[in-house]
Amino acid sequence: MSRFRNILFFVLVFLLQLIITDYLHLGPWVMVSLLPFLILLIPLQRREHIVLLSAFGLGLLLDLLSGGVLGLNAFAAVMTAGPRKFLYRILVNRDRQDKTEIPLLRDIGWVKYFKYLLSLTAIFLAAYILLDCVSVRPVGFILAKFVASTLVSTALGLLMALSFQNRS
Amino acid sequence: MNNRSGLPSTLTAIILFLVLAALSILLVVENGVVQRYRILGAVRNMQAWCWTRTSNIAHYFNYRTENERLSAENRQLHERLSRYEAAARQLDSLSVRIEPDFSYIGANVVKNTVDQQHNHLVLDRGREDGVEPGMGVVAPQGVVGIVGAVSSHYAYVFSILGAGQSVSAKLSRSGAFGPMTWPGIEPDRMLLSEIPVHIQDAPGDTVLTSGYSTIYPPDIPLGLVIEAKVSKGSSQELSVQLFEEFRTLHHVYIVKNNHKAEIEALYEQVP
Repeated sequence: MSRFRNILFFVLVFLLQLIITDYLHLGPWVMVSLLPFLILLIPLQRREHIVLLSAFGLGLLLDLLSGGVLGLNAFAAVMTAGPRKFLYRILVNRDRQDKTEIPLLRDIGWVKYFKYLLSLTAIFLAAYILLDCVSVRPVGFILAKFVASTLVSTALGLLMALSFQNRS
Repeated sequence: MNNRSGLPSTLTAIILFLVLAALSILLVVENGVVQRYRILGAVRNMQAWCWTRTSNIAHYFNYRTENERLSAENRQLHERLSRYEAAARQLDSLSVRIEPDFSYIGANVVKNTVDQQHNHLVLDRGREDGVEPGMGVVAPQGVVGIVGAVSSHYAYVFSILGAGQSVSAKLSRSGAFGPMTWPGIEPDRMLLSEIPVHIQDAPGDTVLTSGYSTIYPPDIPLGLVIEAKVSKGSSQELSVQLFEEFRTLHHVYIVKNNHKAEIEALYEQVP
């Protein structure tokens, strides 16, 4: 994908996340987030501090625009952006840094892409749900919410990757 | 060379990671609704405009249900009004004048969440309509929340369906009271706690606002007790089925306590 198309796709996914936050209500057990997918879309070659600041900014912007608790998305995004490169190395490319800027489904294959996206989504949602619910909600509820939200959010991320990235 | 320059870069990244994580947690703890309204005033107004339009479309398709609900509410209010008028005539004959404790501002819900852990609403009334932070919000069948921040034409409300929010409530038969909180799962269930164990007839009883705060008027029906269980051996925890359907909430009333300043001034006099 060209740089312009990357940016456009990134903005579209962020707008979709805003719409999901405002209008898609699946009950207290499921939280749908595309922020881990957006963090995956930040080019791998970017320096760590740029990635961390970008993730923090994205999360904060979503918190500000969605009207929820300020800092929740920002915290989860930073937690996800931190180990992003490490996860890429151990799950996708063990031998060398990939030459592609953004990991694409068609380049790295279904299984690796799924594992990578699932890990990022799981870290994001674990951080978000724990900070939101810990000590005020039962452990069973927290676990159920985490599992359901991770599955739905990963599936949506994959769908986005399939719909847009595979066309280029 | 690369390794030498890599170490400070990794160290910087780790420090930045910790700083940003700490900053995010600080923001969560502060939950700065007011700051957010200041920062995003113009954007918030544009968003509220969108929410109003989409809310109008959604309610257009529910107008029949909404009409029936408003009609029922009207009937109840007429009945209450006729009782108050009769009482007022009696008081007039005794030359007693009573100022109302609470006044109300009607508002429409333009945004409402029920499935998060900290739910909120946005109402289409703001500072220019006399709304101030700290005012209560009630609906025909219960209480809704507390105004957290206001812009010129909109108000942000902390829903009672939120971690950390509580309503002082009482049982209608015994008058026993305690805090009612949301356990975080179903938007039509809350828990009334700290009810003494000797009160055995709670299931089936109606729960009302206690009036022990300056936020909500007393005796607003909130729900029905459907289950009671002993908590920590010393008190009961009652499961309450709410009367108000939060998912379809549209018309609400912002409550202004006309004596709030006087009550707060009284508290300030206490050393």
